[in-house]
Amino acid sequence: MTAVADIPAQPVSRLTIGAKAALITVIVGAICLALEGVAPWLVKWPTTWELPATQWVGAFLDWFLNGIKPAMRLFSDLMAYPMNWANFVLGNTPWPILIGLVTALGWFLGGLPMAALGFFGLCFVLASGYWAESMNTLALVAVSVPVALIVGGAIGILANEVPRVKSFVQAVLDVMQTVPTFAYLTPLLLLFGFGPVVGLIASAIYAAPPMARNVMLGLERVEPEIKEAAIMSGGTRFQQLFQVEIPAAATQIMVGVNQCLMAALSMVIIAAVIGGFNDIGWEVLLTMRKAQFGESLMAGLVIVVFAVVIDRMSGTLATERKRYDQRVVWAVLGFTVLFTAAFWAWLPNPSELTLLDPMAEAVDSGLTAFTQANGPWLDALKNNSLFYVLLPLRIGLDQAVLPFTWGFQWTAGMSFGLFAAGAVVAALMAWRGHLTGGLVVLILIGMLETGISNLPWPFVLTGAAALSYAAGGWRLAALSVGLLCTILVSGLWERALLSLYLSGAAVFSCAAAGGLIGLASAVWSPVWKVVRPVCDMLQTIPLFVFLIPVLMVFQIGEFSAFLAICAYAIVPMIRYTRHGLVNTPEEMMEAAISSGATEWQIMRDVRAPYAAPTILLGLNQTILYAFAMLVIAALIGTTGLGQSIYLALGQADVGLGISAGAAMAILALVADRIVQGFAEEQRKALGL
Amino acid sequence: MTDANTPAIACQNLWQVFGQGADKALTDALSRSGNDADQAAADLREHGFIPAVQDANFEVKEGELFVIMGLSGSGKSTLIRCISQLLPGTGGEIRVDGENVIGASKKALTELRRKKLGMVFQHFGLFPHMTVAENVAYPLRVQGVGKKERLARAQEVISLVGLEGREDSFPRQLSGGQRQRVGIARSLAVNPDIWFLDEPFSALDPLIRRQLQDEFLRIQATLKKSIVFITHDIQEALKLADRIAIMRDGKIVQIGTPTDIVLRPVDDYVREFSKDVAKGQHAKVASVMRDESERGPDDPGLTTSMTLDAALAHCMELYEPVPVRDENGNIVGTVHPSDLAAALQVEET
Repeated sequence: MTAVADIPAQPVSRLTIGAKAALITVIVGAICLALEGVAPWLVKWPTTWELPATQWVGAFLDWFLNGIKPAMRLFSDLMAYPMNWANFVLGNTPWPILIGLVTALGWFLGGLPMAALGFFGLCFVLASGYWAESMNTLALVAVSVPVALIVGGAIGILANEVPRVKSFVQAVLDVMQTVPTFAYLTPLLLLFGFGPVVGLIASAIYAAPPMARNVMLGLERVEPEIKEAAIMSGGTRFQQLFQVEIPAAATQIMVGVNQCLMAALSMVIIAAVIGGFNDIGWEVLLTMRKAQFGESLMAGLVIVVFAVVIDRMSGTLATERKRYDQRVVWAVLGFTVLFTAAFWAWLPNPSELTLLDPMAEAVDSGLTAFTQANGPWLDALKNNSLFYVLLPLRIGLDQAVLPFTWGFQWTAGMSFGLFAAGAVVAALMAWRGHLTGGLVVLILIGMLETGISNLPWPFVLTGAAALSYAAGGWRLAALSVGLLCTILVSGLWERALLSLYLSGAAVFSCAAAGGLIGLASAVWSPVWKVVRPVCDMLQTIPLFVFLIPVLMVFQIGEFSAFLAICAYAIVPMIRYTRHGLVNTPEEMMEAAISSGATEWQIMRDVRAPYAAPTILLGLNQTILYAFAMLVIAALIGTTGLGQSIYLALGQADVGLGISAGAAMAILALVADRIVQGFAEEQRKALGL
Repeated sequence: MTDANTPAIACQNLWQVFGQGADKALTDALSRSGNDADQAAADLREHGFIPAVQDANFEVKEGELFVIMGLSGSGKSTLIRCISQLLPGTGGEIRVDGENVIGASKKALTELRRKKLGMVFQHFGLFPHMTVAENVAYPLRVQGVGKKERLARAQEVISLVGLEGREDSFPRQLSGGQRQRVGIARSLAVNPDIWFLDEPFSALDPLIRRQLQDEFLRIQATLKKSIVFITHDIQEALKLADRIAIMRDGKIVQIGTPTDIVLRPVDDYVREFSKDVAKGQHAKVASVMRDESERGPDDPGLTTSMTLDAALAHCMELYEPVPVRDENGNIVGTVHPSDLAAALQVEET
């Protein structure tokens, strides 16, 4: 064996990479602040320097989309056939037969619990009076999912078979995951016009990537010896793939089917925003706009029921299946047919069922009573959060502190005092050996004083570059700066900062709260017993539905949007934190215990460091979730890119829609890469 | 095509090099070093390539059980994958029944595998979605053999490995030992001439391992396949092999019978392996037999195939040369009891 390679010489400088990066950021920030009066362009990118990128993108896309329009129109005409057919079948099948079918399917997939879930779920839908609307939605899903499965599966297999295509496909899938859902819709709108087909195609496009991803992953993870055994058995490539590799990857592929179904359902409902045609998403939107929150909640619950039924039933496909007695399936089906035939004349029209209307009214009146009774308290919560937290974060203490809200006027002296205090803290920390920490404190104080939406662009770019460099070296830094610069010159910078502020605030809150809940769940299992079903539920609910409860209590506005984002984005943080903490290897725990460490010491010195990479991945997911929700939240009042995308949709402005969508994707992508870089570094440091 | 003198497998100057553009790198390295394998390998390493198999030369005769032994990372798994063409092979020749398989067409290779090759894997490589019978019948299924016929054949091999009654089980319902029996049965389904076994017993418990080794020998005694068997366990190698090739860092350092390896190691590396081996249990009397006719008066009844331990037990009190007989009882040579003792002495290093 050759000798171990030489260890590279240690850098001479005493400063760590993090400290250097922070120091440069502080210096750039200070210069920008100091020169604000002399050179305002240092803070705010002048409008005259902006390139009309949005128009260029729009012009190009208009030209391109018009080019492919005839082909696409033909495609959409073709798709209309299966859709009308599915609509017809689902719409005209008597409801007892459909309920029987779903119950039988539930039994076949998962025995009694699934059968019960299917039965009661559909009974709820029936009782709600939204049966017809639900069937329309279901028809869309029923057509878009097969399309997504075939396209996604084909892409996954292609990437597996042609290694050269693989990295390209992976990159495209990564980008597609970060581009917000509404951004897809604008070009589709141009191609297909208004109508349900747009929703169909949008949901197929949105649902195909998870399928492709899981097919790729599944095929990749088939044990090499199984693949070799297939080769040595003398199979052709086709036989190897379809007789051995794909069946061996079935579990992972079924995870893909599950995710595909959920994505399709979620998108079909979102697509109601453009192609509303009497489906359940449209119903939610309509009632929400009319402020009929009881009904809106009822329609939302119908969606949730569908999501839960579809998710749990298709989820059983991905676990090892028991065989359930098929005679039960036939018995259930037989019974429903007999039932339908016997009571044919007496079957009520499901649209006229109003069994749950009293409940909706009760919710409405109860809500009114609740908001009236607790009005002062709720208003105080909302206003305090807005004035003392969100607003300062957004426009800085120097502008947010007014006599009207805070009771006094912010002065230059106060700014000076704040910075001086920060400098003292930073110096103290540096003296105790935490130079990086001190510098970060200084940076945070600067950001609080200025406000995120007013941050000087050189400071943001330097900060992003410094973070990227610390996380992943020069290449990542170059990538981040390059991508962010495209936003800067395209005139979307201010809106991007606004988006950054709101998602940043949400991510920060989620990280803190989610981390704590995750920690509590990890150390105390009763907490997890409560938290887990809540997390499951939050992850199953389509994005759209999150808006209803926050709207009911807090009306339209930034605070509601903030809450909706938090509710959706907090889940991964909880899950990953707990998962990381719980999965500390038993041996490490035993080693710590036998060293005489206390519970708390074990947590601090063993479990937390070991869990750090996992927790960082959770943070990463939380960031992506927050960006995804940001656009949906634009429906109830946010500013920034989300609003632009939503507006573009309303005006069919492809240039703005795609540019804003791309800007959003860039923000998400940069954040994603930086956090993943840190997680990777942590993992390497732990030797994982 | 196959006559008695054609070896089942013959490898000549076989190289497997990993890295981008390995083919050209190997040609260059060989021409720079004037075809010196060691220099070429060092050269390749320097340029960032991994020469996993370097200049392997050996033959496996018809019906021979050829064991390749080495530590992990020595290139033995790579070597068997070269021969079975799971890896393409960077340079040299592999002749299976006289035909070069390196560079053979995909179709020809598939045909070869369908008719002549069988392989057993360390972690079994069973298809999780197929029952035992379906797993075993799979090599027949890909050839288009009808269901009834292939299941009948599967039943035969399943009985051969002693798994009757588990035909409809799935792999996950079996123990490790049973799984490997399925692997063995599957590899025998097409009744191949050449049988590759890649550490087939390494993942099993010691007790099960010994049991399967014995059964493997029993099966081989009736089937007489030409076998390439990979292991990292010297005991297993000595127990099973007709001949052993010892690999180190991609090179074959010695090829010989078990006795050769134990009694005449070519270098310290091989000696290190045989150090822990109770030589007396593996080396045969033939290895210390002399071609002399001068003997003492005693005849303790030694035969050529007796192990040294057994022979020594017969000669405890004897100091003069004794005769050795072959299986037929004819005297074929002489053994000095002192040679027996000397051969058994463990060298101190």
